[in-house]
Amino acid sequence: MRKLAWAALLLVVVGALVIGVTDRDQASDADRAHRLGETIMCPACSGESVTNSQAPVAKAIRQRIDALIDEGKSDQEIRDTLVDSFGERIVLNPPREGLAGLVWVLPVAALVVAVAGLVVVFRRWRVAPSTEVSDADVDAAARARQAEGR
Amino acid sequence: MNWTASLGTLAVALGFAASLIGVLSLAMGIRSRQERILKSGRVYAVLALGSAAVAFLAMERALLAHDFSLKFVAENGSRATPVLYTFASLWGALEGSILLWSLVLTGYTVAVCWRFRDRVTDPLVAWATLAMLVVCAFFFALMLGPANPFRVLSGVIPADGRGPNPLLQDHPLMAIHPPFLYLGYVGFTVPFAFCVAALVTGRVGEGWLAVTRRWTLLAWGFLTVGIVLGAWWSYEVLGWGGFWAWDPVENASFLPWLTGTAFIHSVMVQERRGMLRVWNLSLLLATFSLTILGTFLTRSGVLDSVHSFTESSIGVWLLTFFGCVVAVSLGLIAWRGDRLRSPGRIDSPLSREGAFLANNVLFAGFAFVVLLGTVFPLVYEALKDEQITVGRPYFDRMTAPIALALLFFMAIAPVLPWRKASTELLRHRLLWPAWGGGAALVVSVLVGARGLGQLLAFFLAGFAAGSAVRQLVLAARAARRNGTSVFGAVVGRTNGGMVVHLGVIVVAVAFVAASSFSQSNEFRLDEGQSAHLAGRTITYLGNERTRSARAMTVTARVRVDGGQVFTPSLNQYISTGSTIGTPSVDWGLRRDVYLTLVEAPKAAGDSAVIGVVVEPLVSWLWAGGLLMAIGTLLALVPGRRRNPIIPVSA
Amino acid sequence: MTKRPALVASIVIAVVLALLVAVLATRDPAVNRVTKSPLLGRSAPAIEGTTIAGAKFSLADLEGQWVLVNFLASWCTPCKREHDDLLQFANVHAATKDASVVSVVFDDDADDVRAFFAERGGDWPVVLDDQGAAAVAWGVPKVPETFLIAPNGEVVLKVSSEITFEFLQEQLELLRSGA
Repeated sequence: MRKLAWAALLLVVVGALVIGVTDRDQASDADRAHRLGETIMCPACSGESVTNSQAPVAKAIRQRIDALIDEGKSDQEIRDTLVDSFGERIVLNPPREGLAGLVWVLPVAALVVAVAGLVVVFRRWRVAPSTEVSDADVDAAARARQAEGR
Repeated sequence: MNWTASLGTLAVALGFAASLIGVLSLAMGIRSRQERILKSGRVYAVLALGSAAVAFLAMERALLAHDFSLKFVAENGSRATPVLYTFASLWGALEGSILLWSLVLTGYTVAVCWRFRDRVTDPLVAWATLAMLVVCAFFFALMLGPANPFRVLSGVIPADGRGPNPLLQDHPLMAIHPPFLYLGYVGFTVPFAFCVAALVTGRVGEGWLAVTRRWTLLAWGFLTVGIVLGAWWSYEVLGWGGFWAWDPVENASFLPWLTGTAFIHSVMVQERRGMLRVWNLSLLLATFSLTILGTFLTRSGVLDSVHSFTESSIGVWLLTFFGCVVAVSLGLIAWRGDRLRSPGRIDSPLSREGAFLANNVLFAGFAFVVLLGTVFPLVYEALKDEQITVGRPYFDRMTAPIALALLFFMAIAPVLPWRKASTELLRHRLLWPAWGGGAALVVSVLVGARGLGQLLAFFLAGFAAGSAVRQLVLAARAARRNGTSVFGAVVGRTNGGMVVHLGVIVVAVAFVAASSFSQSNEFRLDEGQSAHLAGRTITYLGNERTRSARAMTVTARVRVDGGQVFTPSLNQYISTGSTIGTPSVDWGLRRDVYLTLVEAPKAAGDSAVIGVVVEPLVSWLWAGGLLMAIGTLLALVPGRRRNPIIPVSA
Repeated sequence: MTKRPALVASIVIAVVLALLVAVLATRDPAVNRVTKSPLLGRSAPAIEGTTIAGAKFSLADLEGQWVLVNFLASWCTPCKREHDDLLQFANVHAATKDASVVSVVFDDDADDVRAFFAERGGDWPVVLDDQGAAAVAWGVPKVPETFLIAPNGEVVLKVSSEITFEFLQEQLELLRSGA
C-alpha cells in the first residue's frame, strides 16, 4: 500500500516537473534584454545591474542592448561589445577562463574534497572497531587473573 | 570648551581604561586564583558599560540639540531632519556605529558577569570575561583613535549640518535594523570568549557547551531578525523592488549567520554523542572572526557597496584586529585541538548525526562560496591589476544548488533517529511530508510557476514543511497524551527549531518566487492614463509638489486596480542636491505592486514616467522572518526533559 | 592520514588567511580606484551626430591631428571647474592648428548645454548624444571624462577626473615625443 503511495507520488512529481519545465513561453526580445541587462553592471553604481539602476549610463547601456538585439546580435556578442568599451568589470559574472576561472572552479573543487573527506571519514569509522575483543586478549586477561592469584 | 565633547571623550577614555585594567586584574586573578581579584573583574565591566552609556547619551544629546560644533553632528545632523532619524543618525555613520557597538558589547559583558556571578572563581568564566574585556578595550581604543565621534570642528561652526545620507532618512526601519543587527553581530562575542576560555583551560567538554549554546542561539536570533529587517529596508528604499543583491555589506552580515547556523545544528551532535568538539569550537571562533572581517569590509571602503560607510583609516585597525583574532583562534586550535578531540564516531551516515554532518558541510560550503565571491575581485586585482566583478548572477548560480540541498536535508533530518536508521523507516515516516512536497509542486505549476530550479525548490520546500509539521503534530499528540498543554509542545529546542525551519521555508519560497517571477516595466503616462502589468492596472492620477525644510518633493498619485491610491515620490534634498526616489508599495498576500516615480512631469499636466514592479510573495519574506524570530524565542525556553549539565565527557 | 588534523588544518588556514589579509591590506578604497580604459591603444570609436549649433559632425573628419574628446554635462560641477582649462587648451592649439577639441553631451538638455557654452565660452563642436550611444561606446560611466586621440586615430590617454591645462600640455608633449 505504501509502495503504491510512493509510486503515485513519483508519477505526480515527474508529471508536474515535465509540465513545468517544458511549458514555457518563448522569451520575447524585451525579456531577453531584461535578463541580459541583469548580467551587466551599471558602471556608475555600486554593483547594481543596468536593469535595476536609474543612472543615466545604465539607461544608455539598456538602449544600446536593445539596439544590438534588434541587429540580431547574440548575448555573447552583446557582452563582448560592452566589454570592449568598459572593460571586463562591466559583466557581473567573472570570466570563465584564466585566473578568474578559479572563482568558478574552487567551490566545486571544495565540494568534491568535502564529499571525499566525508566518505573517507565514514569508512574509517566503520573499519576501525573500537571494542572488538580478540582471542589473544581473552588469553592475556585470563593469564593476568591467574598471576594475581584469583 | 565643548562640554559634550569633553564628557564624551572622557567617557570613552574611562571605558578604555576600565576594560584594560579589567583585563590585567583578571589575568592576575587567574594566576593567583584569588577570588577577590577575580570578583573585581565585574566592577570593571560595569564601569565600561557605564562609560559607553554616558558616551552614547552625550552623543545623542549633541545630535538632538543640534550641537554642530561636533564634527560628527555637523556631518550627520541637521535641523531639518525629523527627530527619529536624528536619533538614529548616531548609528548611520562610522564613528557612531562604533559607539553603538561598544554599548552593546559592554552590555553583553556585564550580562555575562551577572549570569555567571556564582562562578566567578571558575577559570572558564574568568578567561571568558577577560576575552570579552579585551574586545571591549579594542573598540574603545577605536573611538580614541580613528573613529573618534567627539572630534570638535576647528574654525567656524556651521549654522546647520549636512544631515544624514538621504537614503538613511527615508524609512523608519533605519531606526531598528542596525540595533538588531548589532545585538546579533556583537552577541557572537560571548560564545567566542567562552571558546577561547575553553581552549585555554582545556575544558572543552560539555560544560562550556551548555553555557554558550543559549547565548549563541540568542545572538543568532537577533542576527536573523537584523538581516531580514535589512532586506526589508533595502526593498522599501532602494527603488528597484529588490531585497537581496549579494552586496558586500549584505554578505558581511550573512557569513556569520551561516557559520552560526551550522553550529546550532552540530552542537546537538556534540550533546548527544560527545563528538565534533573541536569542529564546534572552530565554528564559533570562525563566526566571531567573520563578524570582524565583515566589519572591516563594510567600513574600510575596499569594496564598493550601496550600503558602504565612509572609508577612513579604521580599515588598518580592523584588519589588524582581525589578524590577531584569527591568529589567537588558530593558535589555540593548533595547540590544543588535537589533544582535545573526542573519541566518538558516527555509526551510520543514515542517521540524524549524519544529516547534521551533511548540513555542516553544506553551510561551510555556502560560507566559502559567499566569502570567495566577495573577496575575489580584490585578490584578482592584486594579482593582475585588472578589475573584474563578481555580482549577483554568480552568487545566485553557485548558492542555488547548496540551498536546494539544504532544503532536502531539512526535510529528512527531523525524521531521522539518532545513531542509525533504515530506509524502511524513512519510507514510512517521509510519506506524508513527501506528499506535502508533491502538493506544493502541483500548486506551483497550477499558479504558473515554471523552471526546473524553481519547481524543485517549491517541491523541497513543501517536503521540508511537511517534515516540520509532522514533528510538531507528533509533539502535540504526545503532549495531549501526557496531559501537558499543547502549547508545551511548541516550546523547547526541537519544536522551536521546527518553527524556525518553517520560517526558513517560507523565506526560501518567497525568495525564489520574488526573484524568478517578478515582472517590471516603466510607463510614460498622462494624467488619467492607465497601464497594465501582470494582471494589475495602475492609473496615474496626477502629481503635487511640496517643499519641506529638507527637501523638494514631487509626489505622484497612482491608483492600483481601481482601489487604493499610492504615492511614489522623488525628493530633491536641499543640503546635498541629490535626488532620491521614495517608492510606494501596495503590499498584498499574494503579490506586491511596487511603484516608483522614475521621471517627474516637467510642467504641470505633463506626463510622468511610473515604474511598476509586480512581485509575488514578497510579504512572505517578512512573515517568514517573524516566524523565525518566534521559533527562536520558543527554542530558547528551557526544555523540561534532559538535564543538559549531565556530561557525556569531561 | 595525519595524526594531528587540527594542527595541519590550522596551518593551512593560517597561510590562506595571511595571504588574504595581505591582499586586503594593500587595497585602495574603492572610490579611489582608477579603472584602466580598454580603449587605450585601440582605434577611437566613432562619434557621429549633430552639434548644439545644429551642424553635422563626424569624428572621422578630424583624422590626422590630435583630438581631445571631452564628455561633459552642464550640471556637473567638476566639468564647470575644468572648462577654463579646456578653453585655454583649445585656444592655444587653434593657433598652432595641431589639436582640436570635441565635447560630447552626457545626459543633459541641449538648451542647458547651449547656455553653458554661451556663458563660459568655447566654440568647438559640442555633439549631442541623446541615446547615450557615444557614452556607451567610449565606456564613460560618468562625467567628466576626457580622452586624447593621436593623429593615427588611436586613443592614447584617458582622464577620469578634472583636467588642467598644464597636465594636458605635459601629456601631449610626452606622447608626441614618444610616438
